Amino acid sequence: MSLEKKLLQQATRRQLFEQCGIGVGKAALTSLFVGDQLFSTPKAEGSGFHHQPRAKNVIYLFMAGAPSQFELFERKPELQKLSGKELPPSMMEGKRFAFMESFAKNPPKLLGTRREFKQHGESGQWVSECLPNVAQVVDDLTFVRSVHTENFNHAPAKIMMNTGTPIFGRPSMGSWVSYGIGSESKELPGFVVLQSGPRGPRGGAMNWASGFLPTAHQGIPFQSGGAPILNMTSPAGFNSGRQSATIDAILDLNRMNLEKFGDPEIETRISAYEMAHRMQTSGPELIDFSTESKATLDMYGAKPGEKSFANNCLLARRLVERGVRFVQLYHSSWDHHGGPNENLDNNLDEVCLSADQPCAALIRDLKQRGLLDDTLVVWGGEFGRTPMGEQRDTLGRNHHIDAFTMWFAGGGTKPGQSIGETDDVGFSPVKDPIHVHDIQATILHLLGIDHTKLTFKFRGRDFRLTDVAGNVIQKLLV
Amino acid sequence: MGVVYKAVDKKLDRTVALKFLVAVGELENDAPIGFDPCQPITLHIAPEPMQRKARPREALDLPKIEAAMTRRLAIVALLAVGALQAQSDGARFFEEKVRPILVNNCQSCHNDEAQVSGLSLASRGGAMLGGNRGSAVIPGQADESLLVEAVRRAGALKMPPTGPLPAEDVESLVTWIRSGATWGESPGRKRATASHWSFQPVARPEPPVARNTRWARNPIDNFILRKLEEKGIGPSPEADRRTLIRRVSLDLIGLPPSPEEVQQFLEDDGPGAYGRLVDRLLKSKHYGERWGRHWLDVARYADSNGYSIDGERSIWRYRDWVINALNEEKPFDQFVIEQIAGDLLPNPTRDQLVATGFQRNTMINQEGGIDFEQYRVEAVVDRVSTTGVAFLGLTVGCARCHDHKFDPISQREFYQLFAFYNDVDEVGANTLDGEARDRMMDPLLEFGKPEEYARREALKHQIGLLEGELLEYRKSLEADWETRFATGGDTVEERVRGIFEIPRAKRSSVDRGTLDRFFRARDAGWKARQDGISALMEQLPKIESTMIMRDLPEPREAYIHAQGDFTRKGDPVSPGTLSVLPPLPENENPNRLDLARWLVSKDNPLTPRVTINRMWQRYFGLGLVETENDFGSQGTSPSHPKLLDWLASEFVARDWSLKAMHRLIVNSATYRQSSVVRSEAKKVDPSNRLLARQNRVRLEAEIIRDSALAVSGLLTPTVGGPSVFPPQPAGAGQFTQVDRQWKAAEGPDRYRRGLYTYFWRSAAHPGLALFDAPNAQSSTTRRNRSNTPLQALTLLNDEAQTESARALAEQVLAKDGSRDARIRFAYETSLARPPREDERERMSQYLARMTDEFETDREAVEALGVKSASSAAWTAASRVLINLDEFVTRQ
Repeated sequence: MSLEKKLLQQATRRQLFEQCGIGVGKAALTSLFVGDQLFSTPKAEGSGFHHQPRAKNVIYLFMAGAPSQFELFERKPELQKLSGKELPPSMMEGKRFAFMESFAKNPPKLLGTRREFKQHGESGQWVSECLPNVAQVVDDLTFVRSVHTENFNHAPAKIMMNTGTPIFGRPSMGSWVSYGIGSESKELPGFVVLQSGPRGPRGGAMNWASGFLPTAHQGIPFQSGGAPILNMTSPAGFNSGRQSATIDAILDLNRMNLEKFGDPEIETRISAYEMAHRMQTSGPELIDFSTESKATLDMYGAKPGEKSFANNCLLARRLVERGVRFVQLYHSSWDHHGGPNENLDNNLDEVCLSADQPCAALIRDLKQRGLLDDTLVVWGGEFGRTPMGEQRDTLGRNHHIDAFTMWFAGGGTKPGQSIGETDDVGFSPVKDPIHVHDIQATILHLLGIDHTKLTFKFRGRDFRLTDVAGNVIQKLLV
Repeated sequence: MGVVYKAVDKKLDRTVALKFLVAVGELENDAPIGFDPCQPITLHIAPEPMQRKARPREALDLPKIEAAMTRRLAIVALLAVGALQAQSDGARFFEEKVRPILVNNCQSCHNDEAQVSGLSLASRGGAMLGGNRGSAVIPGQADESLLVEAVRRAGALKMPPTGPLPAEDVESLVTWIRSGATWGESPGRKRATASHWSFQPVARPEPPVARNTRWARNPIDNFILRKLEEKGIGPSPEADRRTLIRRVSLDLIGLPPSPEEVQQFLEDDGPGAYGRLVDRLLKSKHYGERWGRHWLDVARYADSNGYSIDGERSIWRYRDWVINALNEEKPFDQFVIEQIAGDLLPNPTRDQLVATGFQRNTMINQEGGIDFEQYRVEAVVDRVSTTGVAFLGLTVGCARCHDHKFDPISQREFYQLFAFYNDVDEVGANTLDGEARDRMMDPLLEFGKPEEYARREALKHQIGLLEGELLEYRKSLEADWETRFATGGDTVEERVRGIFEIPRAKRSSVDRGTLDRFFRARDAGWKARQDGISALMEQLPKIESTMIMRDLPEPREAYIHAQGDFTRKGDPVSPGTLSVLPPLPENENPNRLDLARWLVSKDNPLTPRVTINRMWQRYFGLGLVETENDFGSQGTSPSHPKLLDWLASEFVARDWSLKAMHRLIVNSATYRQSSVVRSEAKKVDPSNRLLARQNRVRLEAEIIRDSALAVSGLLTPTVGGPSVFPPQPAGAGQFTQVDRQWKAAEGPDRYRRGLYTYFWRSAAHPGLALFDAPNAQSSTTRRNRSNTPLQALTLLNDEAQTESARALAEQVLAKDGSRDARIRFAYETSLARPPREDERERMSQYLARMTDEFETDREAVEALGVKSASSAAWTAASRVLINLDEFVTRQ
């Protein structure tokens, strides 16, 4: 092979890594391609690491439907006292809510929780009876109690949390991260999405879309049962030997064409097939929980083959172990308005039961394996719920965007603390208000990315995840 | 410090001194536009900015110089901003600390439109110019600046009126002003003015004369060749005939040629054989499918509503309209007019109404608890943005929240365009949940039979009667329950009792729902009546329909949305276009039809340029203007500006005939070149912008599918009709709120072309999404062309691919002959060429191995769904062929 061709191949291999969002080393990050070689390369201004990262990977536990902070983490004695009283009209002024009609007709009344709260751990964090397992790991968590967002409907708010704007179609956080710093896995996509609970997230694929970023950075949904990736299984009749022989034939014939045309895209495709082959061979091992000890399975409450949040948490650990950069788990549903199947009593109990033990197990498991230092765990919904009750069949809570709680663990966050405070009834932040853009800026910061520098030019404008805002939450950092 | 100049303030009619804090030489080094430091400058700054309605930034045309006026309304100094480094730090500080403060606390009143107290804090000029009380910001002098005085709340003026700013914000403002009040715009970026190239009238350049007089086939080639000659590179030879027919077939109809078609073309040795081929393809009904799909990208076509629920919608008739319009050679100007405003044409035909589905491809939010007006506004905004991108190649959408930063598009103009699209009779403000459920898709055009309408009327009448009866029954029930409540009850009853206490008219829809469920659970009479109504509802005929545009009898109020927030009303606006482009004809009340005609008017320089550039992009992988969606100042300049204008003028001169332009381009020598990379040309022009060869481009998602179906003989070539459900991997639809059941079609619809695949916005078919099909959230004018392992997995293992491989194998086996003859046939069928010797040998070797494998493994043969080992081996070989890079590439 001529030297020129060799150089060409090297160049295209690098391009492949960039395009696939897989196997990217630092050196490969200086330029990224929008598509094939025809498009000029809009430089990702400052792609790659901007500073020493604290976290290598992210596991984002997205609690779809918006959990009630008042039933889980926000203890408000004053709210208990005022339960049943109408919210002072001044607090409602200028506010827009979901289901305005019901609020407008029946002035909403404050609602104290029926849940018991206790302080836990050395840090003395308040957690309700709903999450007995999470309560045991609070010393590893940082609570942020003053998160606020902008849109009070589920799908746009989820899109806001994931893409930094409620406008549909922009790149998601995982895509930005994959685009910015790639992934260390050579066999798996850099951004994987898992799902559990009765329904998938509203907005579907828009939550993990790559928007105007190269398609290779889109989140790839994995299934916890069967083959994890769509089309990972060879067609019936092709055992692994035949599949290998087939891929070899494809590779050889493509190489012959590369000699003739000299188009680097062909080399990229050759590498893509090689990588696809590796994915096929490593996929079954990924979801094979038989190598996990019984103690581990029990800790999560995982049952091999089941479609559950517990299995997904365990799978998430296995994914970050294998170098996957960004794993996002959606678990539903936390949308407790008070209507049928969405009350704050047994329906909340059900979803807590499915989420509590696996969340705590994930923290413990990561910690005991020494992975928690490198892995940032994020827990939260798209918004919170109102301190006022919402009267449907039972008393539930409406969507609330002014203040809600998220928690973080590992990956360079400072454990055992609370950031931000809300007023006596938990309506608005009174100390350290944290906007969604601040959360996004902080997650990027922990990964070694300056959120103001990770940009992509589209339609004449430099876009970024945090739009024109966002401040790193310094108090969250170690 | 600094240099002082003498200048004339024309408004005040007095001579003033201008002080530049940076030495002029220093400034010049950085300045994108220099000026002559030896000449006194006459600045025309005063007349405009002094007035309330003025737009200070436009008034100041000298970059890097902005006016500062003191409270005494006299010019004290003009500041040139500091050296680049300082400027970029300052800009960063401004973006991070200051702009958020201004945006969140000040600009809702003090913007360019509202200008409360005559003050706009939307730009540096505005801040320095100040309002009725004088200059708000004096760079370098925080304590003297009114803005600081106001936020410190020390004097009479206390701002913002809602309450004091946090101390740190006040401090940020002080720091910012002290350090020169840099306004955050990246250095080196200048706003496009009316003199920007793309706003100029389309010229009619003469095709240049090239030295090589034998190569050019039409004027396109003269433009291309001339540039190549300037760089000292020659064009590539013409591609061989097999490559040519496959290329032009894929480009014009999106299907590979059959072996017979290839043979026919090879044997046609008369002059004009290629031209005849092109003519045949342009007459094919598949041409409308191929180029219709390109347009559907722009139209953000989908079969579902998007957002959270992502319910289904019926708008496939619009897709059919696009396909037919292209096949029928509807001139592009008419094509545009009917889509934008077909409903406003005199006596519109039903087809012209269907065409207006173009601007109904916006998303609809069906989530509970939403404000319908909010999402109606989003749809209108999307129509404006789409108009900008699709026709004008301008990022008009950037002006939703503020004046465009780089192009001459004001926020007011954005809302003038908004006003054209604001009157559609769709669900919006004041719509109630129940009503919205019935009207969610309106306006619709129905396609029922007369008896269906009659039956619907009759049923609706009956339902109405029953509902009236139910209402009466409710009254008796309520009375009944009130007495029962006197004796106490469970918690649900408590809740219901609470509702009874609310006067009926004030009960919310949630209350009514609770009552209904309550009655339903506890009263057999209620349940029976309700079931009766439901049964009738189910009998309502499902009348086919498509989404169209239809305006309300009375227009909605259109106004500027401060910061793009529809709840913050700014000045009212009426329909209007962009001032940088030729004006609308005189008309007191322009409507969408006027907008449509303006878009395709002879004087509009953008629509033909943008359209022809996008066409060029489909043929060469890249437009003459690479940023096909941005012809503004942030876009790239055309690689061949004269060619672009020649093509645009030719397009209009040929009465906007698309087929004429296709014919011109594909007949050019430029298009017909080989795509083999030449190292000497690559050295001079690595990215092949000058087109010394054709480009190889990966096929689009749909065309990859279509090609596999076509070469295997499975393709159902039916054109048009509702969307279909080809197989998709199990589980693909579950990753969204509603698990999308996807029952794969059996029979002919299983093998339709990719553009007919049902498109769920929230869970697109993986075969589309993984191969860069657009997500239909907004207009797409160029697809990515990625090259990923997940694509490889799909091509290798997807069920549809295996079906194609099996069918191709059957065709091959139906041919008698040796293994080599069959390999040749398989190659000619799939790649339109025979194998080269090394390829034949490798394929033969693979076939031998697979034959051995399958002969000893009957189970595998059966599992593959074929009858014999040789069928299985040929299925394997076919699978290899439809996985080759060449198969998914237009060469």
